[in-house]
Amino acid sequence: MTSLDVSHLSVNFGDRTVINDLSFTLQAGEIASLLGPSGCGKTTLLRAIAGLLQPREGTIRLGTQLVGLSSVVLPPNKRRTGYVPQQGALFPHLNVAQNIAFGLSKKEFSQAEITKTISEMLALIGMPGYENQMPTELSGGQQTRVALARALAIKPKMVLLDEPFSALDAELRNELRSEVVALLRAQGTTAILVTHDREEALVSSDKVVLMRDGKIAQYGSPEEVYESPISPSVAVSTGDALVLSAHQAKDGSTSYALATLSAPTGAVSTNNGYVVIRPEEISVSKSSAAGVAGTLIQLDYYGHDAMLVVKLSDSSEIIRARVAGPMDFAVGDLVKVEHRGPIRFFANA
Amino acid sequence: MKKSLKALVVATAAVIAASLMTGCSSSEEQVANATELTVYSGRSEEFIAPFFAEWEQSAGIKLNVRYGDSAELAAQILEEGANSPADLFLSQDAGSLGAVAKADLFIELPNDVAESIPATYVAANRNWVGVTGRARVFAYNPDLLKVLPTSVTELGNAAYKGKLGIAPSNASFQAFVTALINAQGADFAQKWLEGLKANDVRIYPKNSAIVEAIDKKEISIGLVNHYYIWEVSEGLGREINVKNGFFKSGDLGNMINVSGAGVLTSSKKYAAAQELINFLTSQKTQDQFVAQTHEYSLIDGAKAPAGLPVLTDIGAPSVDLNALKDIQKTQDLLVKVGLL
Amino acid sequence: MATGVKDGLAHRFSASRGEPASIHPALFALVGLLLAVVLIPFVYLIIRAFEKPLPEIAQLLLRGKTLEVLGTTTALLAMVVIVNIFLGTLIATGIHFVRMPRAHLLIVPAVLPLAIPSYVFTYTWLALIPSLSGVFAAAFILILTTLPYMLLAILVSLRRIDSGFIEVARTLGLTRTQIFFRVVLPQIRGSISAGALLSGLYVLSDFGAVSLLNVETLTVSIQNMFKSSYDRGAASVISLLLILASIIFISVDERIKDKKAKENVFKRLSTDDSRIKSASLKTLLISTLGIYVTLALFLPIYVLISRFIGNPNPLDISGLASAALSTVTVSALGALIALLFSAPLGFLIATHAGRFSRVSERIILIGHALPGVVIGLALVSLGSKLGPIYQSIFLLAFAYALLFLAKAVASMTFSLQLVPQVLKEVAATLGKSKTKVTTSVVIPIALPSIGLGTLLVFLTAMKELPATLMLRPTGMDTLATQIWSYAAINRFNDAAPYALLLVLIAAIPTFLLSLPWGDWESKADGTKTRVGSLM
Repeated sequence: MTSLDVSHLSVNFGDRTVINDLSFTLQAGEIASLLGPSGCGKTTLLRAIAGLLQPREGTIRLGTQLVGLSSVVLPPNKRRTGYVPQQGALFPHLNVAQNIAFGLSKKEFSQAEITKTISEMLALIGMPGYENQMPTELSGGQQTRVALARALAIKPKMVLLDEPFSALDAELRNELRSEVVALLRAQGTTAILVTHDREEALVSSDKVVLMRDGKIAQYGSPEEVYESPISPSVAVSTGDALVLSAHQAKDGSTSYALATLSAPTGAVSTNNGYVVIRPEEISVSKSSAAGVAGTLIQLDYYGHDAMLVVKLSDSSEIIRARVAGPMDFAVGDLVKVEHRGPIRFFANA
Repeated sequence: MKKSLKALVVATAAVIAASLMTGCSSSEEQVANATELTVYSGRSEEFIAPFFAEWEQSAGIKLNVRYGDSAELAAQILEEGANSPADLFLSQDAGSLGAVAKADLFIELPNDVAESIPATYVAANRNWVGVTGRARVFAYNPDLLKVLPTSVTELGNAAYKGKLGIAPSNASFQAFVTALINAQGADFAQKWLEGLKANDVRIYPKNSAIVEAIDKKEISIGLVNHYYIWEVSEGLGREINVKNGFFKSGDLGNMINVSGAGVLTSSKKYAAAQELINFLTSQKTQDQFVAQTHEYSLIDGAKAPAGLPVLTDIGAPSVDLNALKDIQKTQDLLVKVGLL
Repeated sequence: MATGVKDGLAHRFSASRGEPASIHPALFALVGLLLAVVLIPFVYLIIRAFEKPLPEIAQLLLRGKTLEVLGTTTALLAMVVIVNIFLGTLIATGIHFVRMPRAHLLIVPAVLPLAIPSYVFTYTWLALIPSLSGVFAAAFILILTTLPYMLLAILVSLRRIDSGFIEVARTLGLTRTQIFFRVVLPQIRGSISAGALLSGLYVLSDFGAVSLLNVETLTVSIQNMFKSSYDRGAASVISLLLILASIIFISVDERIKDKKAKENVFKRLSTDDSRIKSASLKTLLISTLGIYVTLALFLPIYVLISRFIGNPNPLDISGLASAALSTVTVSALGALIALLFSAPLGFLIATHAGRFSRVSERIILIGHALPGVVIGLALVSLGSKLGPIYQSIFLLAFAYALLFLAKAVASMTFSLQLVPQVLKEVAATLGKSKTKVTTSVVIPIALPSIGLGTLLVFLTAMKELPATLMLRPTGMDTLATQIWSYAAINRFNDAAPYALLLVLIAAIPTFLLSLPWGDWESKADGTKTRVGSLM
């Protein structure tokens, strides 16, 4: 498997800049998610890496091989990347075995080797015996799996997946996702997964690449981007976030709706800004003495946890808190909320 | 590999270009004993095939006949030029023959070919000879028309208002109008046509439709060729109440057009082709034409079709058949007057 | 050096963003050869036309008669195209959306009139209404003849509409009319334009119907000029006008049609549930369709059969058989040659889409409206110089291929574009070169659709008349030439069996063309999907 190095990449469609001076690297064997809203350029980046379009500037390196340079582009059939587009895109006129073996050239491999690879791949994706099925006979999840097998069969330097699970229903999606990720890890595959689903990005990858407007907003491990977002907008991209206006005083204390904390922050000047809090960092209690008072105005029950929306009595701020366990709350209860987590203060620009 | 492919393409192109430039030159060598002859026939298969079959048997020469419309065949011959595979062109009207003659594609026939055909029905320099006569007549319904017209110029009179039928898109009508223009001038022809139009002349697409209409008493009189009353009657399978009538002697309405034949310069079988012409113009065949297709035989003294005057008694005007080839000006005039 | 220049040219033409591959010189040469062949009739016309001095050419083009003919042609075109658009959209949409048992079979009788040549149509209608004549009559006949083209084109698009759009629109509360205009119509716009183009070009090139009805369109005028004054120069000048008209037509279509069709490899298409249940719409659809099929199919066939039965003359079985055999043989040969000719261009378009392929496509489309008489004479002129080829079956088949090449190419490009872009991309990433992508993915998927296009050429060739008359081997008759030769001497009863046989034989490819290709496949979870799209 290979590493990926993208350096100062810019891509245009006509006079519209879709990717702007983008750089990042991926170690061999790492799985990265490209996360971002529609139109941020993540699919474009993937296609540039696959060789399906030519950048205006910048370089792309797969391992030690320079594959993309604005003046010279190695065509996609020479890059050996495994591209799995949305909805699988199996060849409708070929059966499963022929689809999987599509990238295996008869000049390089004997028929026996090819057959062996096909069975290996089918075993890998948990679909042994499906050789002769036609793509139309497969379910959505099965098609995605076969598409992955097809990409893996050529032992690619890197696997590029473009929202492969987006067409599936929730239950299947989670199951398939963890299977695919496990498979990729077992093979030690370097992979890039494009997704617009925050949770999918966090759970599948070693690195999360947050994209916005053609640039990388933040890039790091899932914990880093979740716990230590570099801006409120990044925080919102990676999970539910509570953004409260806050004020930092000369003495180092930060005050916001939920508290005034005097823990020294090292600030030397007063600042207005925002504090970012994750909902699970807020505790809600009916009986506690400590905390800020408020009224429970909404309860969203997700089964594994619940989101409580509390309106603070003093400031009328809306606080969202995530609690787990049996619900002994009801709308209208008077509660106390407390912040139990790090202060992430972002000064106004 | 690429180089030799290119060479092949260039070579092919060169060969094609060369052959386009030069073409196959028509050979002067004549085939001594022809076994096959190619005929372009503007006469329809239904009528002429039995005659061809008869000649094939007696001459022992196979005929490859290409049937089509006379004018279209003439256009094709003109396009083929000296490379035409045709030996003989048998046409249904003189205009087509004239066009081919004008392009110098017919040979001059020796005097002993078709000697029975009078000079009136032969091209001036014997490029082509007439084979059968097709007389312009007026067909009429005897129940409706008691007083017959004596001149084609009367047809603009009130007596024929709404009762006359013509087929302006038909080649024979156009040939007649061309003859009218040649004889009396374009103004005269225009006035005559305008007179017909003002007189509610009824337009039909074909001569046979005119005859049918006369039989049905939709109209009482129509300008057609003489043999149509038989053609319609046979087509319908019954007798019809239509008769042929002729205008006074010398009137342009009595014009006689011919079907005819010529031998192409591109042919290598002049002798055989001329034999065929002799057959078609022989007394016996001519009589059969009269009996079967009800056309006129062009031979002096031949019998006329049933109930019609002998050819020389029709009182036909003298018309230069060669000059009938330019129908364009006639068509333009018809369009101008609003009849086409 | 020639190699270098050609490579350089090919490279320049094929350069597009990120795709530096150049066109293989052999392919370039093949397509170039194809274009040269296609241009033969044009070269002929230009040579003949410019045998005339320029002032005479100008006078020919501007004289009253020409303008009048142009006016007649335009009026006819307008009537036919507009009515076709309206009726075609109505019927096609109805067939697709209105819930009816066996709805997909309704298309078959609606398309079968394609099997009837326009001159046979006109003969039968003249038998019913002998006084039929004039522009309105011609419009009537031509609408009957060309409506199936419009229906087929629109149905193709309708079948590819994702029913998801419609369901969403319905849940948003849109009425059926609103859904039609805002959701359906934009997606079938391109097909309507394609159908209009097909109908329009047919009207421009038709000779049989209009001449029998005494309407002088450009084509009739050209034919008359060839016949009446033997002035091929003048006729060629007017033919150039005809070509100009078709160029205009094609340009308008280019503007209207969608450039990028929506591509979905798998999608949920209309299932029975999403069809409209409405008794009144069903009645409207059935009655409209019924009227059309009666006028365009049942009545003509009735006339033919009654003429056939009423014919006292005995049936010439051997004549019928040999004419039928000739028809089928030479038409099939012509369709195959058309396929062979359009293949290099199709390959080019699939593999190296770029300026050269677009230009080539346009040149070929222009030939769509060339009347048979022009192609016939051009090939007579050329062919008579080429010895034994002249008046051979091969040359006639070649003429058919030329005449209908535009149809073959249009259908080929359409079929190739049906293949979703993403499949080509995936194939590339799996190591296939551009050529291999075309051969291993594009062609296999497009093949059924290409087959149907070839079938269309076969069908059209069977009905052809003017070029056939000029170029057939002496002594060979097709069903079409036999019909013509009997009709020319008013023996309609004798023509009837040939006409019936032609319609019967032509009905087979027509039937195949009308089937709803792209079978429904049931998936494991019960929903239905279609793979790719076949037509």
